Amino acid sequence: MMRALAIGGFVAALVLLAAVEWAARRPGSRIPSLADVCAYVMRYEVGPVPVGRIGLFGFWWWLGWHFLAR
Amino acid sequence: MDHPRELTVPEPRVWDRPVVSVPVLVCLSLVGGQLPSFSTQANLYTLGTGGALIWLGLGNRVPRRPAPRRLGAGALWWVLPAAVFGVFEGATFVLHAGDDFPTLSRLADPLLEDELVRSAAWFAWLAAFWGLVRR
Repeated sequence: MMRALAIGGFVAALVLLAAVEWAARRPGSRIPSLADVCAYVMRYEVGPVPVGRIGLFGFWWWLGWHFLAR
Repeated sequence: MDHPRELTVPEPRVWDRPVVSVPVLVCLSLVGGQLPSFSTQANLYTLGTGGALIWLGLGNRVPRRPAPRRLGAGALWWVLPAAVFGVFEGATFVLHAGDDFPTLSRLADPLLEDELVRSAAWFAWLAAFWGLVRR
């Protein structure tokens, strides 16, 4: 029962992600796409250091290592 | 005839076109899909491919697509899937109930043992990484 709840929760998150992305790609949508949100986050800099870019790259690198190497 | 600077679009480099980048990513993914979890090769391959992409992404070697200057209130919709995922990942992680209430990692592990699924996951990871590098 709890296992089904966990699977249902992760599937719900995935379906919601797909739905928001679909809504973002409709003509005239006010919702930015996930790629636009990522690009906006990556613009963040502290002085000359591209903190947003380093942070997002680091997170994605860790995610790949976690799932594909561990 | 001269065109105004803002109307000219630079020609993409040969290696920056999908006809080149997609087969390269497929080849890298097929190699990655052969490497078993917890192996030294898998660790080195993940660190090597990711490190190379970060090196490309932090330099000015790859042309980037323009980023939006600001996000409207519509961006708040992205909190919804993130919050649902965060609640379930947090709950499964904190309760530490193993296969009875598994984390996403624990659910994904048996799926990723299949080489084809593993290669597909590698492709998704690398393609998204390449997309980030070019933003």
